[in-house]
Amino acid sequence: MSSMKIVTTTLLLISFTMPFSAPALAQDYFISDAKLVTNTTDGIIEQADIIVRDGKITEFGENLIAPDNAQIINASGRWVTPGLIAPFSHLGLVDIDAEDATNDISSWDSETSISELASDSFNPKAASIANTRRHGITHAVVSPDTAGNSIFAGTGLIANLSGNYKSVENNRAFIYLELGESGTRRAGGSRAAAMAQLRAALDDAIAYPDRYKGPEDGDVLNRQDASALLGVISGQMPIIIAADRGSDLLNIIELQKAYTDLDIIVLGAAEGWKVADELAAAKVKVMVDPHNNLPLSFDMVESSFDNILILDAAGVEYAITNTSSLDVTNAANLNQHAGNAVGNGLSWDKAFAAITATPAEWFNLDLGTIISGQEATLVIWDGDPLNVTSAPIDMFISGKRQSLKSRQTALRDRYMPTSKETKPYKYR
Amino acid sequence: MLTIYGYLKNIMKKKLCLVLLSTTFFAIFTGCDTAEVAVDTVPAFASTYSPLDSETMLITNAHIIDGNGQEIENGALLVMDGKIAAIGKDISDNSNLTNATLTIDAKGRYLTPGIIDIHSHLGNYPSPSVNAHGDGNEVTSPITSEVSAEHGVWPQDPGFDEALQGGITTLHILPGSANLFGGRGVTLRNVPSRTVQGMKFPDAPYTLKMACGENPKRVYGEQGGPGSRMGNVAGYRSNWIKAAEYKKKIEQGDDVERDLQLETLAGVLSGEILVQMHCYRADEMVQILDIAKEFDYKVTTFHHAVEAYKIGDILKENDTCAAMWADWYGFKMESYDGILENVPFVHAAGACAMIHSDSENSIQRLNQEVAKTWANGNRAGLDISKAEAWKWLSTNPAKALGILDQTGTLEVGKRADIVLWSADPFTTYARPEKVFIDGALMFDKESGLKPKSDFRLGYGPENGESE
Repeated sequence: MSSMKIVTTTLLLISFTMPFSAPALAQDYFISDAKLVTNTTDGIIEQADIIVRDGKITEFGENLIAPDNAQIINASGRWVTPGLIAPFSHLGLVDIDAEDATNDISSWDSETSISELASDSFNPKAASIANTRRHGITHAVVSPDTAGNSIFAGTGLIANLSGNYKSVENNRAFIYLELGESGTRRAGGSRAAAMAQLRAALDDAIAYPDRYKGPEDGDVLNRQDASALLGVISGQMPIIIAADRGSDLLNIIELQKAYTDLDIIVLGAAEGWKVADELAAAKVKVMVDPHNNLPLSFDMVESSFDNILILDAAGVEYAITNTSSLDVTNAANLNQHAGNAVGNGLSWDKAFAAITATPAEWFNLDLGTIISGQEATLVIWDGDPLNVTSAPIDMFISGKRQSLKSRQTALRDRYMPTSKETKPYKYR
Repeated sequence: MLTIYGYLKNIMKKKLCLVLLSTTFFAIFTGCDTAEVAVDTVPAFASTYSPLDSETMLITNAHIIDGNGQEIENGALLVMDGKIAAIGKDISDNSNLTNATLTIDAKGRYLTPGIIDIHSHLGNYPSPSVNAHGDGNEVTSPITSEVSAEHGVWPQDPGFDEALQGGITTLHILPGSANLFGGRGVTLRNVPSRTVQGMKFPDAPYTLKMACGENPKRVYGEQGGPGSRMGNVAGYRSNWIKAAEYKKKIEQGDDVERDLQLETLAGVLSGEILVQMHCYRADEMVQILDIAKEFDYKVTTFHHAVEAYKIGDILKENDTCAAMWADWYGFKMESYDGILENVPFVHAAGACAMIHSDSENSIQRLNQEVAKTWANGNRAGLDISKAEAWKWLSTNPAKALGILDQTGTLEVGKRADIVLWSADPFTTYARPEKVFIDGALMFDKESGLKPKSDFRLGYGPENGESE
C-alpha cells in the first residue's frame, strides 16, 4: 500500500492542530461545595471541591483544602459540570442568516469544496458566540454547509466560545457532506449519483497524488480537494455525513465496510432506529435531535421520539444535537434538546454525556469530563442544567473565567422595564 | 356599532335588492327588484365541529393553574356536558358531584387550561414539507386579503396530532408573511377531522394576516413593489382608503360589486375581523399603530414582535397584544435585536403578552418556551409567578383571538379544554398525560390514545413490513 504511505506523510505536512495553551500566569480557583457532574464512573459527587491551577483541573473531591493564592468560589451546592459542546453548528460563520454578505456558511460559486477551511470564515466576535456562550456552551463543532453541485461542504473546525481571536482549537477537525435529499439534489438528482460522487471522491483521495498529473485529473475531485480528503480516508479525521432515511443509513454502513478506515459520524439519522443494530455493528456514530418526531420530509417518514431510546438500547454511539432549531439560535438550546430526551425516557447521565463527553471524545478534545489534569472548562449553574429554567452563573474555559454578558444582555439592560432611568434610551 | 352584516340587512330593506347572501357578513348584489327577499344566512365554509362524547368527570388532588393568575394546590375540577361545572379548593358542596361517572386522582400532577397557539402554519405548511404542500402564501400579489388560510389547510397534517400530544387544544392558522395583506386566518379546534370545517372553532372571529418589514419588500421588490418600507406603508394606506370607500358605499346603500379583497378589509374597519400583524421592529409597530388610528381600526396582535420589549408602554396604551418567541433571533436583520426576556418585559410593562410557535416543532412544547422566557425574566429582576406566566399560553392568546369567553381559562361555564400534566409544566421533563377538548379525552399517554393522520398509515413494523 505505497499510496497509503504517501497519504500519511502528506497528512503530516498539511494537517495541523492549533495548540491551545493556558496563559502563563493564570488565576487559580478553588470551587467549593459543588454538585459535581464528572461524566465518569465517579458519577455525580454531591459535595465536591475543585482545584483549578494553571488552567487545569488538578484535584477534585470532598473536603479539599484551598491552595494559597486561589480565588475561592462557593458554589453553595449548585450544579457544576463540564462545559457543553455543541456537536454541530454554524456559529461564527454568519451574523444574519438572511444577509448573504454576512453569511459564510456556504460558498455557492466557488470551484472548491473539501479544501475550504471554515476556520478562514470563523469570526469569534460574531454576536451569536457570546449569546450562545451564556447558555453554558463552551465549545462548538462548526461546520460549513453544502452548496452548488458538490455533496461536500468543506472542512469544519472546533472552537471554544471565549470570543477571543485565536479561539479555533482545531481548524481541520472533520469533513462535512450531505446525502439524503440535499446531497441527491446537488449530485444531479438521484441517490445513485450522490453515492457515486462520494465513492469516487474517496477513490480520488486514495489515488492521490498518483492520479493527478494536472490539477483537474481526479474522477470527481480536483487536486486540492482530493488532498484535503486525505485525513478522512486514513481515519485521522471524522467525516460527518448528513442522512436520515433508513436506506441511506444502510448505504453508509456499506461504505464503512468498503472503506474500513473511515471514522463516520451520521448527522440526523431520524430513521436510525430502523437500522439500529446495523449501525451498532458497523460502529457508525450518530448525532440525533431528540425533538424530531415529524415526517418533515420523505427521508424522515418514520421519525419518532423513540429514536434515541432504540439507538441507545442497541448500543449505538450517539451525540445529541439540535438540527431542528433555527440556525443562529440553534446551538443555544442544546440543553433543552438533551432534557427532552430525558423527558422521553433516556437517563439523565446519558443525555448529558451526549452533549459533553461524547462529542469531546469523538473530536479528540481534552474536555467533557472531570478528570485531574484535564482542561478546566467548567460551568456553574443555578439549577439542573438540562432544565429549561436553568442558566449558568459562572463559567471557565481552560481555567479562564468567562463573561456571561453579550449583545443580548446589553439590550436587555437598556430596556429593563423596572429601570427608574429617565434619560433617552440611547444615553442609557 | 352596526356590523357589516347589519349594514347589509339595512340595505336589503331600503333598496329591496335581490340578495344572494353567501357569508355571514357579506352579500352579492346581482340586481334590484321591488320585493323584499328572504335570505338564507348560511355562511360559506361554516364550522361543522361538534365535540366528541364526554363523561361527567371529577378531577381531584390536582395542582391547578387556572389561567387567571391563580394556583390551587390540591384543587378539584368538575366537567359536565363538556363544560367546566366547578373548580376550586373544595367543591364538595356541588350538587352535580354525584353524577360523575369518572374520577381521576391527580395527586402530584398539574392541571391547566389547554394551550392555544395564536401563530401556526400547521395544515398550510404541513409535513412532509414537499413543494406540493406549500399552501400558506399566496405569492402572486402583495394584496391578497381575498384569500383564506382555511382553504389551504390540509387536515391530515401529522403536526396536528403531535401538537395535541403537547397540550395544544386550539390553534390559529395564518397565511404566511409575504404579503402586506396576506389573507384571512382561521381558528381551529385541535380535533381530528376529515375536513377543515370539522375543525373550525364555532363562531370564532375571522382574522386578517398583515405583514411589516422585510418580507413583502423582499418578495415584491423586483415584481412591481413594494420595494421598501416606504412602499409597504403606502400599500397599507392606499388599500385602507379603498376599503373605507367600499364600506361607505355599502352603508349608504349604493350598488356595489362584491369584492372579496375589500370585504375582508371592510370587516376589519367594522371591527369584526381581527388584525394579526407580522412585525418585528419597534419603530415599525408604532407606525402601524398610527395607520390604525388614521383609518380607525384596531391592531389586535403584533406577531413575532421581536422588539416589542422596546415599546411595552406603547403597546399597553394601544391595547395591542404581542405574540412572541422565547428566544428566536438573528435569522434576518429585523430579528437581530431579539432578547430572551421579550415576553416577560412586555408583560411587566402592563401590555398583553403571549408565546407563539410559528413552528411544527416548538408548538409541541410551548410550555417549555414559556418556562424559558419566564425564568429569564425573573433572572433579570422581575417577579412574575408561574400562574401569571401561564396567561402567555392560553389566556392572552384566547383574548387576542376573540374566544376568551369560551376557552383559555379554567372557569365555570367555559369549554372544558384541559391538560393534565405529569409534573410541573415549567420544566423540561413534564409531559401531558391527558388532553381534553370540550371535556372529551383526545390524547391519553397511558392508554396510547392519539389521533393518527392518514399520511402515517402504512409505515412501520405494524403496517405491512415483512420479516
